[in-house]
Amino acid sequence: MNLVTKIMINKKNIIISTIPLMMLLGLLGACKKFLPTDRDTFNTQARFTQTIYKPVMGRTTVMGDNFDSQSSSLPLTFKIVNIRNSDGLSAPELIKPFDVLVWKKAYFGTEKSIAEIEAKRVIEKHPLFEIREHSGEFIMWAASNSSIIKALPDSGYTFDVEVTNNGGRRYFNNMQLQPYRERKYEPNSLDPTTGAGTNAAIRPNVINNMKGEITSSNLSSNDVNVYFNRIGDGNSITFRFLDTLSRPIDPAKFKLTDWPNLVHGFNMEKTSTYVKYDVAYPIPLVEIPTAYTTQDGRQARVKFSYDRLGFGGVKEVAEMSFNFSIYEKGAWEIVFWFNRDNPKFSNE
Amino acid sequence: MNRRDKNILKLSTLKQNIAMKHLFKYLIFLLVLMTTSAYAQKIVNVKGTVVEKSNNLGLPGVNILSGTPLKSVGSTGGDGSFSINVPENASLVFTYIGFNNQTIKLNGKNVLRVLMQESNNDLKTVVVVGYAPKTKEVATGALTTISGKALQDVPVANVMELLQGKVAGLNIQNNTGSPGARGSIFVRGLSSIEVQGSGNDAFLTPTSPLFVIDGVPLDANTNYEYGFSQGGPGISPLSLIPPEDIEEVTVLKDAQATSLYGSQGAYGVILITTKRGKSKTPIIQYVTSFFVNTPPKLKQVIGGKGERDLRLWQIMNYDTTVYSARQRIDNNPLLSDSLNAFYNNSTDWQNVFYRTTLNQNHNVNASGGDERFNYKVNLGYYDERGIVENTGLKRYSLGMNVLYQPNEKFRLFANVSSALGMSQKGSGNGILQSGVASGSSASSLLPAPSLFSSSGAATGVLIVDNNNKSGNIKTNLEARYQVLKPVSVTSVINYDYNTGTEDTFKPSILNNNSSNVYSYNDRRSTLYNRNMISYAQTFNAVHNVNAYVFNEMYIRNYQAQAVSQVRTPNDQYQGPLGFNAATSRGGVLSSYADSRSAALATQLSYNYDRKYVLDLSYRWDGVSSSGPDVPWSKNPSIGLKWNFNRESWFKNAKWLDYGSLRTTWGKNIVPNGTVFDAFGSYNFSGVYNGSQSIGVGFGNLPNTTLTPTVTTQYNAGLDVGLFEGKYQFTFDTYYKMVDNQIREKTLADHNGFGAVKTNEVSLVNYGYELSLTVRPLAKTSKVNWTVSANGAINKDVLTSLPDRVRQILLDGGATGQAILYRLGVNSLSNVLYNTKGVYASTDAVAVDPATGKRYQTTNGGSTVFFQGGDPYWTDLNGDYKLDGKDLVIAGNSQPMITGGVSSFFSYKNYSVNVNMSYTLRRDILNVPLAERFQNFSNPGGANSLVPIEELQYWKSAGDVALYPNPYDYLRYSAYSPFRYNQTLFQEDGSYLKLNTLTLAYTFDKKFAERLGITSMRVYCTGNNLYTFTNYSGPDPENVSDLGRDNSSGYPSRRSYSLGLNIQF
Repeated sequence: MNLVTKIMINKKNIIISTIPLMMLLGLLGACKKFLPTDRDTFNTQARFTQTIYKPVMGRTTVMGDNFDSQSSSLPLTFKIVNIRNSDGLSAPELIKPFDVLVWKKAYFGTEKSIAEIEAKRVIEKHPLFEIREHSGEFIMWAASNSSIIKALPDSGYTFDVEVTNNGGRRYFNNMQLQPYRERKYEPNSLDPTTGAGTNAAIRPNVINNMKGEITSSNLSSNDVNVYFNRIGDGNSITFRFLDTLSRPIDPAKFKLTDWPNLVHGFNMEKTSTYVKYDVAYPIPLVEIPTAYTTQDGRQARVKFSYDRLGFGGVKEVAEMSFNFSIYEKGAWEIVFWFNRDNPKFSNE
Repeated sequence: MNRRDKNILKLSTLKQNIAMKHLFKYLIFLLVLMTTSAYAQKIVNVKGTVVEKSNNLGLPGVNILSGTPLKSVGSTGGDGSFSINVPENASLVFTYIGFNNQTIKLNGKNVLRVLMQESNNDLKTVVVVGYAPKTKEVATGALTTISGKALQDVPVANVMELLQGKVAGLNIQNNTGSPGARGSIFVRGLSSIEVQGSGNDAFLTPTSPLFVIDGVPLDANTNYEYGFSQGGPGISPLSLIPPEDIEEVTVLKDAQATSLYGSQGAYGVILITTKRGKSKTPIIQYVTSFFVNTPPKLKQVIGGKGERDLRLWQIMNYDTTVYSARQRIDNNPLLSDSLNAFYNNSTDWQNVFYRTTLNQNHNVNASGGDERFNYKVNLGYYDERGIVENTGLKRYSLGMNVLYQPNEKFRLFANVSSALGMSQKGSGNGILQSGVASGSSASSLLPAPSLFSSSGAATGVLIVDNNNKSGNIKTNLEARYQVLKPVSVTSVINYDYNTGTEDTFKPSILNNNSSNVYSYNDRRSTLYNRNMISYAQTFNAVHNVNAYVFNEMYIRNYQAQAVSQVRTPNDQYQGPLGFNAATSRGGVLSSYADSRSAALATQLSYNYDRKYVLDLSYRWDGVSSSGPDVPWSKNPSIGLKWNFNRESWFKNAKWLDYGSLRTTWGKNIVPNGTVFDAFGSYNFSGVYNGSQSIGVGFGNLPNTTLTPTVTTQYNAGLDVGLFEGKYQFTFDTYYKMVDNQIREKTLADHNGFGAVKTNEVSLVNYGYELSLTVRPLAKTSKVNWTVSANGAINKDVLTSLPDRVRQILLDGGATGQAILYRLGVNSLSNVLYNTKGVYASTDAVAVDPATGKRYQTTNGGSTVFFQGGDPYWTDLNGDYKLDGKDLVIAGNSQPMITGGVSSFFSYKNYSVNVNMSYTLRRDILNVPLAERFQNFSNPGGANSLVPIEELQYWKSAGDVALYPNPYDYLRYSAYSPFRYNQTLFQEDGSYLKLNTLTLAYTFDKKFAERLGITSMRVYCTGNNLYTFTNYSGPDPENVSDLGRDNSSGYPSRRSYSLGLNIQF
């Protein structure tokens, strides 16, 4: 009997104490809706710091550091909309995806074959002009060229960018894309706007301690012209040296040159008139410092060198170096023409 | 001294006179009794003692009643003994405030031992809420009372340390071990988002509740801003209160309870009542304890040859070439010149700075009296030497109070308490001990500190001459006169004066040949006055009305001066003449303040037979820092309570002791800013026409609409007590808005003024609190066991920022640990790089498909590409570059759940008391761990190396590791793998701490009497014994309020004490 009442009491007790408890909890739930929602900040003062983009076609260009978010919550989402040409008509050539070569694995400059390099990149479909979804960086892919896309001096394309986060949305209207036509190699003497050649010569970057055969004077970079020739399709690069009479100089005369490591190429073919390598394009493949590039890695660097006994029996180490980039795949030839005097290889 | 002794003597003779008077009364009463009833009944003499059941100590002043109707027949003496003459077989009733009544039928016995049990019925406790005493039963607000007994037996400088984990919703973090400093105290979550400093040294502006000590308000925030943003002795005013003198502490949490503390009460109110005299025979109690403070487990370091070998190994393996490695070693004599006596050491630096100390505490309490006249004198001495060399606190205190009530109509209460704290801060500032931190992490290869070794900074810690004093005197006078039966007038005046001085001398031999005398002094005074008319009446025995009106005013003054003299003549002659005048400074600091506040308040309380309770209050507050356009703030509150156990349906429910449902709403304020923020200032503005001129200060634009911070709080609660105290349960839920927080806004330069302070920041705290007390054993059991547990869940949400922006990012300073204010989420978020792991090999690093480059980062100068062994940080915006745009919001530095568990167990003469506290769901940035790895960033440096072998770090390609490769020191500066602001070092700081464990033994009365004392009790206590945590840093509690584990903080000591409590 006693036990029964006790149990009943307990039950009652539970009910009595839970009802007000539930009421209290409910009260609090009602208050919560007055709180602000967790929403991103979108500052309408956010802006693109650059509104006209002028990439060079034929090479992959990433145009970054171009958006000032003005303390909006990151990441923002960017989207190119309504891209149109100078006539105001839509531009399908910039919407349609093309085959572009993208990197999948890191290139180190230590790869042992072209196949190993090629295994690190694949072909994907991308529109030629893209915006990175969350960083707002624009990309012009290397597959772009002036036969598809209108290049300067055409006034190019106009487009809008939609920028959003969950706190707001803004359209940045009338941004412009005015691509330069492709320049297949650097340095070059092409007019960037028209693509027409000028007569300016391409010179090597450094010539040191090179004496002229006839004049015995020091040669300078002005004494050498450099020519880039695309002699056909393929995957190679050839270096030739010509004397003042355009006769070939035997590359072997540049005897201190580190021929196997001149460029990141394979299957070196060295004759008395040229040196040829199988290479992967573009050159350099990736703009990182490697054994084959300048210190900043932006361009490939070739260095030809020899030594001789100079006046008074002094050993003179002569060198000529040249920094360059080639963006289009092909069988390329780089010719160094000594226009004033030939280098003196023999001892004094 | 002598004079005070005389005073005591005077008091006790007075007391004896009164006792004699009473004796006379009783004799006459007995005579009358004998003459009238001698025929009817035989009168017997009954002797005995009344003891408290929980500790077996005699209870003085217990009232003994007998007869019908009950009449007082005597009371117990100082040792709890009594001797009375009553009719044979009478029934005796023993009553004592706070204890259950005990009824004993004599049945022929004439020697009694009466056990009194503490009342478990919470609602009968009398509390003072809003300056008027009432029982807890008719108090509508959320409040918790802690008996002073729970705060004894543990020697601490600051009594708040002992309240940790005892009150649901009162979050106390003892986050500094510096003697005399106090930890942080939050009532119901965050009240301010203001941050001083940045990065690792960022500190949250303290928002401690208002303390009211015996009616004297004390704002713990003002004089003590962490001893950090200002100079000063760094002694918290709370450290000047001896814990032995505390009778009870009441924590008022909701807006109704704090409503009448209006102009200060927005952060909550803690009432501290000191002991009063209540025994007719004077009692002298002496409490002493000796305690040993030990440093926590110190970090292990690699010493001597081991350290040198590790450095050499790192250089030889990670330098670019063997030549460069050898050069690096050869250029560094610390590494190469191992035979040089200067470098051939294995110094234990931590041992130089940390120590185990023996400390003591003495407290004498003399008290006596009855309702008409009582007095208390408390004399205390506390000496604690810090576990860091050259730090410590000494406290001398003297407090006394007197209550005199010659008749029902008039009552006078006066108290005076004074305290002097003396401290040494070493080379730190009370909170941070950066000198010790840098000194104790010096390389073990360096020689131990001496003036001639290169470790000057380290030596500085030991020989800097630092002496600080903090003095406080509080006086309080309260008079009440009952004009008519229901109407009485009360007037209170009190004055609180604090002064602090700091004197530091840095000798030139360690301060770059430039000695420095620093002398600081400040004074702060508060004058407070309150005049109240109250009315209390009961109509028809069921309608109870209590109303009062009062006015209140504060006058506060503060001024600090400092003198800093550089290049004194020599290290022996420390001024005052001969210093370098060009580089020395001195004068009044700009923190001076002179503020006033005035208030008019009224309260009406009504209850119907104590069943339905209604409290209404309204308060007008004017503070001098409010803008002239809005001088008054109006603070209403309302409280409702339903004591449902008094309903007729529960009439027969014996199992229900009490049950009530209460709800309140109200507003409170806390003044913020200074008078200059509201009114502007005139400053020296340059020389015009050859004379100095005063012009408008263009620093701050006056804001004429500046208001105090306002908290608006809803509270709902439920109290239930079941089965005669077996189960007690309190549940509260609240929704607290903290609006009008002050924040400085910089203005565009064309405005003329630099900045303006506005009230545009708001946040909301909401949460639940639960307290539970269980007495599992039957009342009749010889064993007394009480277990209490409480917990509080608090969430805070930021609801408004200046200019209606949705988020503000605070710069992370040198350590990059940024803080984000963002609406709709917790107020203080960490902003960090998200560490997803460690790259097992270089192939695992993501490659930019367009450029072919690996994921990279730059420090401005040099760029590095990530490789195997580097940390994998999320690239949030997908640009394959790690930079500030990749920071993510991660973590909340504020704890979500806090609470505590305590258990009290007694059997016969033994008792065991255990207190634990816990904090759950809080994020800590583990700076010490980051630094442990960063030590390897420069193998040629002279810092200590802490072994990392037990940590899972990357060693060779293919390793799946938790921590990146620490040895790659050449790339280190470019990518900082162990940067502080990454989620790798954000850890869960949940912990369960065993705060105190006390074992006590009470000697048998007979044994004590043989020694000539009334009672004697010995106890031993361990304090801060162990912390259960998954946190990998040193101590999850010893971190700043913003969750930064600053490795230059003062570690919390562990203490073991042996104490003795004697009563004469």
